[in-house]
Amino acid sequence: MQRILNLACGSFYALGAYTGVSAVTWALGHGLPAPLFLLVLVASGLALAVIGPPVERLLRAVYDRDESFQLLLTFALVLMFEDVMRFVWGTAPVQLGNAYLVYGRLAVAGSTVPVYNLVVIAAGGLVALGMGGLLTHTRFGRIVRATAENREMSAALGVDLRRVYARVFTLGVALGTVGGALVIPATAAVNEMAIDVVVEAFAVVVIGGLGSMRGAFVGSLIVGVLKAGAIATWPEVEMLAIYVVVIGVLVLRPAGLFAGAAP
Amino acid sequence: MTLLEAVEVRKFYGTFCALDGVTLTIGRGQFVSIVGPNGAGKTTLVNVLTGLLAPTSGAVRFKGRDVAGLDPVRLARLGLARSFQLVHVFPGLTVAETLAVAVLARRRRGARLFASLAAERATWDEAAGVAELFGLADQLGRPARTLPQGDKKLLDVASAFALHPEVILLDEPTSGVSTADKHAVMAVLVEAARRLGIASIIQVEHDMDIVFGYSDRIVALHQGRVLADATPAELQANDEVMATIVGRAARRA
Amino acid sequence: MIRRGLALAAAALLALAPLLAPPYQVTLLLPAFAYGIALLGLNLLFGTAGLLSFGHALFVALGAYTAAGLTTRYGVLSFEAIVAAAAGLAAVVAVPVGLLCVRYVKIYFGMLTLAFGMLFYSFLYKFYALTGGDEGLRVLRPLLLGRPFAELDKVGFLTGPFYYYALALLALATLAMRRIVRSPFGLSLRAIRENADKAAFVGVSVRRYRFYAFVIAAVFGAVGGTLLAVPTGLADPLLAYWTHSGNLVFMLLLGGFEHFLGPLVGALAFIFLQDLVMSLTAYWRFVFGALLAIVVVFFPRGLLGLVAPERPA
Ligand SMILES: Nc1ncnc2c1ncn2[C@@H]1O[C@H](COP(=O)(O)OP(=O)(O)O)[C@@H](O)[C@H]1O
Ligand SMILES: [Mg+2]
Repeated sequence: MQRILNLACGSFYALGAYTGVSAVTWALGHGLPAPLFLLVLVASGLALAVIGPPVERLLRAVYDRDESFQLLLTFALVLMFEDVMRFVWGTAPVQLGNAYLVYGRLAVAGSTVPVYNLVVIAAGGLVALGMGGLLTHTRFGRIVRATAENREMSAALGVDLRRVYARVFTLGVALGTVGGALVIPATAAVNEMAIDVVVEAFAVVVIGGLGSMRGAFVGSLIVGVLKAGAIATWPEVEMLAIYVVVIGVLVLRPAGLFAGAAP
Repeated sequence: MTLLEAVEVRKFYGTFCALDGVTLTIGRGQFVSIVGPNGAGKTTLVNVLTGLLAPTSGAVRFKGRDVAGLDPVRLARLGLARSFQLVHVFPGLTVAETLAVAVLARRRRGARLFASLAAERATWDEAAGVAELFGLADQLGRPARTLPQGDKKLLDVASAFALHPEVILLDEPTSGVSTADKHAVMAVLVEAARRLGIASIIQVEHDMDIVFGYSDRIVALHQGRVLADATPAELQANDEVMATIVGRAARRA
Repeated sequence: MIRRGLALAAAALLALAPLLAPPYQVTLLLPAFAYGIALLGLNLLFGTAGLLSFGHALFVALGAYTAAGLTTRYGVLSFEAIVAAAAGLAAVVAVPVGLLCVRYVKIYFGMLTLAFGMLFYSFLYKFYALTGGDEGLRVLRPLLLGRPFAELDKVGFLTGPFYYYALALLALATLAMRRIVRSPFGLSLRAIRENADKAAFVGVSVRRYRFYAFVIAAVFGAVGGTLLAVPTGLADPLLAYWTHSGNLVFMLLLGGFEHFLGPLVGALAFIFLQDLVMSLTAYWRFVFGALLAIVVVFFPRGLLGLVAPERPA
């Protein structure tokens, strides 16, 4: 949307995951009823979004420079966040145990699925719908879309680009940290999850075509299904499969599967 | 003999029709001016003629070949070159380097990996020769970004000339140049074309003095259509068209 | 003139380093030389052609694994053969990868090269039988110009014959790259960097030249990789990991990508800074991240930019 590719978005995700583990462990230790841990996760993710504005402030220093410098600055953030996480949580994977099973399991198509996973999937769908609604139906959404189309024009029309950027960025950070927090009951928080997310997000964007909401949605579905399929059949190739698909899409449909958006 | 032709070209931007059935043939040895008010579709026409934009329908042929399938490099090799309405220069390259890039490309020496650039005497001499023609000879060592706007424009045009094309398309070569200097620029263009063996010039121009003074032929565009396509003398006899184009040009100025 | 004098003085100093400096410092120079060569390639892409690769480590790793595979699996110990094989292999890999990547510019190019680097990383990591998986592959001591130098211990070998071999290779690579940058091809690449549309309209085959640059960069990367692997005696998957690519870009920026010698200065500065910071704290990445941020925001022209602020012709 912002035409800034943020390598650090993966770090926000990982940070959200680590913080989620700590927050829930702490809350459960202080007598929080187990079923409420979901709220703690969301709250910790949202709280973490406070790092959004200062980071955005830093990136603002290079908004008008070549994209390469923006990429590099986010890489600097990745290095720093990586050590912050190492400092606070160490290098071993951090896990929540099986708290997520408090919601029980459900038999679906012959296998049992923890209800928690379904809750997360539903939450993901809701967020996607909410974002779509936000972008198409609110004033803020229209401004964001107009700005993504044409910075100069929006600026000329009196849109305060800085505020728009700051808000979009913080929103993105919040989505990242909450997303990271939500997945950790099912997986461990590890440092490497940062880059996996960056590449997956890139895959989603490439498959969907840049700047197309519908494309992003379908792209994320494809990536998700692909991942699940690879993990179920041949776990070694999970990430490999995603890279192969990204490259394949770029070869065959450079503008993304939903061409029409600007390349 | 026809060099460049457009047949029933239409170009839509979304639903907006910028060119609405333009048919045009440019022969060898012609100096053609395209005139018309702002938004008439002149730049769009130049872009379609040079393959930068694909026409929505219709065809553009250069020497009998469909321009649509040719990239700018192939077009340059076939003998078609252009300059842009908004100046396109290489900000960090000097005047000499800019012209050398074009000369090397024309002589198919641009991919030489281990040859010494400094030893390319013939290339530098030729670049200097072109700079001389355009009055840039004493600026050879200056980076393009430090040139005054008018010289940038000249450099853009000069680098197209350095390709020794048969047909050259110039989108407002004198925009930003004062009226007094416009004649000097035109004289340079005509002289350079003669010296470099360029057969045809197609230019977009607003100044009617210039248009009537230098053109063999004038194509008047209006709202994406060809309003008139005639010699200056024929046009001058046609009061109705004159009123439209000169009137508009006057209002614009 | 002054610049040339300084460069020659620095070269002389490097040639005398094994006699003047303690062995530890001398062994630190070896990775700096290796990175120097790899960065010369990376800077042909970024500094000259304007394409920022976030996957250059792929080719460095390819060079290292070539050295490992040839010495441990095939008994090929001649370092000249290893360098030649690495260069050839890099070119072969760079052809398909480059053909795809140069269809894009800017962030898309960066991300696509990153994806290819990570693809190679996953491959190295997962295909244990071929690559040794996360343990990597050992690299045996190679023969230099056919000689084993069996009488020397490891440090003696590295700070003696291998040091001079590496320095000579660096000098050779520098001279070769200098020729390339100062050739008609180099000028065409700069034109592409400055304005690709305009370059196309004056007859420069933009994609083709970008592709050539990509392949050349890959070859330099792989040659650097072979040198990198010998002192550590190991080729491991992290060599291809994306942060390694990021570090390569970091070095380049640190040295100054607008200057021909920026890659060499950057590699030296990075290695010695890293050594210093790592001896002070385990969290050297944090320090380096902060340093990189400062360089990007305040000194995008790097160390050489401080000395000679104008972009040289
Ligand atoms: N990329 C574009 N997208 C949409 N409309 C365009 C675009 N380029 C030009 N137009 C419109 O097409 C018309 C013709 O433009 P142009 O060819 O630039 O005119 P001229 O050069 O004669 O002033 C104008 O109304 C302009 O607004
Ligand atoms: Mg125009």
